[in-house]
Amino acid sequence: MFRDHVKLAIKNLRHRLSRSLLTLLGIAIGIMAIISLMALGEGMQQAVTGELSSLSDVIIVSTGGNIYSAFMGGSTSEYFTQRDIAYVQRLQGVRDVSTQLAGTGVAEYNGKSTLVSLTGMDVNVMRLQYATQTFEAGGFLNEGDQNKILIGYGIAHNTFDADVKVGDRIKINGEKFFVNGIFGEQGMGGTSSDTIMLMSSRDFQKLTGQSNISLIYLRVYNVNDAESIATAIQNQINANHGKKDFATATTMTSILKTVQSIIGILQLVLVAIASIALVVASIGIMNTMLTSVMERTREIGIMKAIGATNTDIMSIFIIEGMLVSGIGGVIGILLGVFGSQGLTLILNSFMRMGGSSSLTPIITIMSVLLAVLVSLIVGVLSSLYPAWKAARMSPIEAVRYE
Amino acid sequence: MSTDVIVTQHLSKTYGRPPLQVHALRETDLSIKRGDYIAIIGPSGSGKSTLMNLLGCLDKPSTGKIFIDGKDVSTLNEKELARIRREKIGFIFQKYNLIPTLNALENVELSMGFAGMDAQTRTKRAKKLLELVELAKRLTHKPAEMSGGEQQRVAIARALANNPSIILADEPTGNVDSKSGDNIMRILEEVNARGETIIVVTHNMTIAQRARRVLRIQDGVVSEEHV
Repeated sequence: MFRDHVKLAIKNLRHRLSRSLLTLLGIAIGIMAIISLMALGEGMQQAVTGELSSLSDVIIVSTGGNIYSAFMGGSTSEYFTQRDIAYVQRLQGVRDVSTQLAGTGVAEYNGKSTLVSLTGMDVNVMRLQYATQTFEAGGFLNEGDQNKILIGYGIAHNTFDADVKVGDRIKINGEKFFVNGIFGEQGMGGTSSDTIMLMSSRDFQKLTGQSNISLIYLRVYNVNDAESIATAIQNQINANHGKKDFATATTMTSILKTVQSIIGILQLVLVAIASIALVVASIGIMNTMLTSVMERTREIGIMKAIGATNTDIMSIFIIEGMLVSGIGGVIGILLGVFGSQGLTLILNSFMRMGGSSSLTPIITIMSVLLAVLVSLIVGVLSSLYPAWKAARMSPIEAVRYE
Repeated sequence: MSTDVIVTQHLSKTYGRPPLQVHALRETDLSIKRGDYIAIIGPSGSGKSTLMNLLGCLDKPSTGKIFIDGKDVSTLNEKELARIRREKIGFIFQKYNLIPTLNALENVELSMGFAGMDAQTRTKRAKKLLELVELAKRLTHKPAEMSGGEQQRVAIARALANNPSIILADEPTGNVDSKSGDNIMRILEEVNARGETIIVVTHNMTIAQRARRVLRIQDGVVSEEHV
């Protein structure tokens, strides 16, 4: 029975081949959009996860409400004390501890002086913390470097009268420093590294005579302990300072979760946009099928006159819809595989300018299964109304004199 | 009632509401014996089609009853009516009404498919029926590739497919030339000779006179015609 319905449906579709193919194309494009955008989102997810999870044994303790305030320049008046550092160093499970120092100084270049914020940190921490940062010119400091600095894009281009180049000298508080590297423009909304002036902790202390610790950067032996160690540090330092929310200890894992959820939302938005194409395509199916039902009034009447039930008629039309959208879906998946490669090429060429690592689209079995399921559901839903209309037709139409 | 394949009691069909009501068929009492060969004649608009649709279970009566093989079909629902059409009634239409996308064999098989017969039995039976209507060489031809007379013979084979109790033929020769028409009537008569009940609706008196019993319908009233 079912096989007969399928055969009839195929015959009907082939009878109106060009119309069937055009309808099918609509679905294929919709599914292609979904598949390629999902692949892109997944690729993004994995790229970020991969970058951040290499730092999963890291805990960052910052002053203020959250870690981002510290990255943004962290201009709090109160800093970590040596007592805080000593506590962290003594803690069980902590592998190494380093600090980031914050202060201000007067920088002079090409005859112009200006007040800048200075950051001092261990050279190896610098490499970790700015691992994803691109350079416009030059590179990281090396262990043992003296009187060398890294500067942000904004310092190099928008602070002084002339552009600063690698190898140039900048006087800070009267002391000469050589520019070892200039960061690329951060763009994408972030500006934290654009106005930065980075030097080694030793140079910082020598220059300012201060050790205002704005950030503690530590690594643990066991990643599984990270959360509990972070909590312990946060509680103890808050107690040391007699405040409830002085310090925030953030593990990379929790940052990872935040970033992943943001990308998750982005993925959802992408798929929602792609779904519009699918909605349009399903209206296309409905339209084609309604036309087909009208054209086949007589045929439907004949089938009912020779004994087809309403269920038979409905099933023939629904199978037609499912065939169109099912085949369209499979073609869409294939197109999506290629489409996502193309989309990534275009995106990567943009991203390279902005200065971030490249993307690879990832097509998961889940997204393929989802696409198949969605296209079948679309097929059923969009043929339901035409099929119902067909089934309701009177068999008397068939015997009416013309 | 075992010998009567169709019995109607006070069968009426009206369309619309008063005062614009049209009485297409009035208080008709009929009994049709199994194996009979009947012609229904009357001018267009007389109620022929209405009677045909009611006897073929395509339409429901306004009042009165229809019994087919002793079973009251006037109260059945859509699904049960489809079953009666499938198993008890074979239709032959003036315009052949074959499915254009299917070839001769597939057209004949279609209603057997709706009846749930398995593919092998079905094909075998369809071939036999097409042989009976002298179309053994036209099995894979589509309707558009056949003459009117050939298409109508495919329709006869299709009507016989599920071994019905009644063959309802509506102007079966109306769209073919007289030679093909004669051929079609000869085949229908052969089918009748094998015991099948045949009802032919026509306005052609020559065709009607070949029947064993003629019913005339005028303004929705059925009367016996003695020829």
